[in-house]
Amino acid sequence: MSGDAAVASAIFGGFMLLTVALGLLAVRGHGRTTGLAEWSVGGRSLGTVFIWVLMAGEGYTSFSYLGAAGWGYNHGAPVLYVIAYMSCGYALGYVVGPTLWSYARRHGLVTITDMVAHRYGRPWLGTAVAILVTVCLLPYIQLQITGMGVVVSTISYGAISLNWAYFIAFAVTTGFVVVSGLRGSAWVSVLKDLMVIVTLGFLAVYVPLHYFDGYGPFLDRIVAEKPDWLTFTGHGGSGLGGSWYVTTSFLNSLTVVIFPTTVAGYLGARNADALRRNAMLLPFYNVLLFVPMLLGMAAIFVVPGLTGAGSNLALFKLVVDSLPAWAVGVIGVAAALSSIVPMAVFMLVIGTMWGKSVLGAIPRLAARPDRQKTAAQVVVVAAGTLALVLTYTEPNTLVRLSLISYEGMAQLVPMILLGLVWRRMTLWGAVSGLAAGGALVCWLVFTGHDPVWGVNAGAVALVVNLAVALAVSFWGPRTADARPDEEVLASDPGRDPDRDAGGDTDPMGGVVSGAVYHRND
Amino acid sequence: MKKRPNLLWLLAPYVLYLGTLPLVDRVHPTVLGLPFLFFWLLLATLLTPAAVFLAWRGDRKRGRA
Repeated sequence: MSGDAAVASAIFGGFMLLTVALGLLAVRGHGRTTGLAEWSVGGRSLGTVFIWVLMAGEGYTSFSYLGAAGWGYNHGAPVLYVIAYMSCGYALGYVVGPTLWSYARRHGLVTITDMVAHRYGRPWLGTAVAILVTVCLLPYIQLQITGMGVVVSTISYGAISLNWAYFIAFAVTTGFVVVSGLRGSAWVSVLKDLMVIVTLGFLAVYVPLHYFDGYGPFLDRIVAEKPDWLTFTGHGGSGLGGSWYVTTSFLNSLTVVIFPTTVAGYLGARNADALRRNAMLLPFYNVLLFVPMLLGMAAIFVVPGLTGAGSNLALFKLVVDSLPAWAVGVIGVAAALSSIVPMAVFMLVIGTMWGKSVLGAIPRLAARPDRQKTAAQVVVVAAGTLALVLTYTEPNTLVRLSLISYEGMAQLVPMILLGLVWRRMTLWGAVSGLAAGGALVCWLVFTGHDPVWGVNAGAVALVVNLAVALAVSFWGPRTADARPDEEVLASDPGRDPDRDAGGDTDPMGGVVSGAVYHRND
Repeated sequence: MKKRPNLLWLLAPYVLYLGTLPLVDRVHPTVLGLPFLFFWLLLATLLTPAAVFLAWRGDRKRGRA
């Protein structure tokens, strides 16, 4: 091992230990609370700051370092859709967040599959949606594992092999999330966001100065020499034009507010106003996303000729090329944490869904929240192990699945968002819409028709989904449901319920005070 | 929505990021050196919190948090 490799690896290893320690410390004082809600949604007690940190932590994944830079390098402008949909989604979360939060709180629900089961009065629907969502989320776990793998392998100058790096990703994440759940993820997010902000802020200044004598010359050069990167459809015949950008951003902004990991963040909030404040504060975090995109474009000049998966390392090629080993290690830690935090929440959500909606539907577990929690923890390990094993043995399976992950998850929008505010949506309407949209999106994506007519395939499927859901709701079979509207539907809570809510759940207060107070996603 | 017209502010990011695209999908004029599309989306990113703030302030005035 060379000196550089030893320095960078040591820094990385030290921070990984710190991460696990921090994640485990988070649960101090809360560990004896049994039950799923404490583990899955932090006892619904996180204040504005923790919510901000956590939600920013979830949203800023390994994609931000790798994919965003890679897209910037390969195509340029189309990658901007990430910023567009996250900003729009955060704004939409101003209404959706409090609505879902109060619904879950009122009925003691811990995850979206739980909400679906409650709304339509059918536990089996929760089970079915949980399985569907798991299939959509597993590829994300694998993406984080492989993302962290290439980062760690790169920043250790090859000293840590890919296979070991994959395993470290799995071990560190599982190491704390099984024990401390959402609260641990929020604590690790504090470290992560701090490091991400500092390292990206530094790189944003340093890279243009080091390679181009500053922003002026860098931007002038890119405008003069690479204008096809700077507007849609971007460089390289991506086929990703303006209509693709608009439909994708719109679709994803609807999807992100019901994305199970986002919802886990919503439900962790102490009160509805913490979520509203976050809707204001979170979009600021998106400014940071411009950095890897711009640096990816800077890499076009510095390390030309990267292709395929290699372009994902556009940013790290610059880092390794221009900085001393200790700085490379620190930046690698920030990127690794950007895999770990989202991975932790993905695994947590899968565990929660299974503990509550799949295994929890088994009579012996139904009335035992403590056993549901244990079941959920077992599922976390199982899901992580499955993703890890598939990463080693069948990497392409999950890569193919990941193609439909987001667009598939989008097909839940009518069932959840519309269903929760519109009583006439029937069980069979929601199910038929989901089936039609899901089938269409699979067909379009797997036959290579995404985008279709320049439009995001998931958006086309969503339109069909909605039409079917409405038609079947109006003209299809009705199922009797005697419960009153207040029991079934969700609404944005007003101010007073917030105050009530603030009073009875304080456990986080002590932990948070003096520390962090937001959560961003 | 009739009772909370202030929520219309939440549509502002959709207009800024998506609605205006045909007008802003261009390299020139550059602003502070930034190609126009990137400048515009950076501006939208900074204005989105302001729009959500206006929605929030409307709720505050109405006695909702």
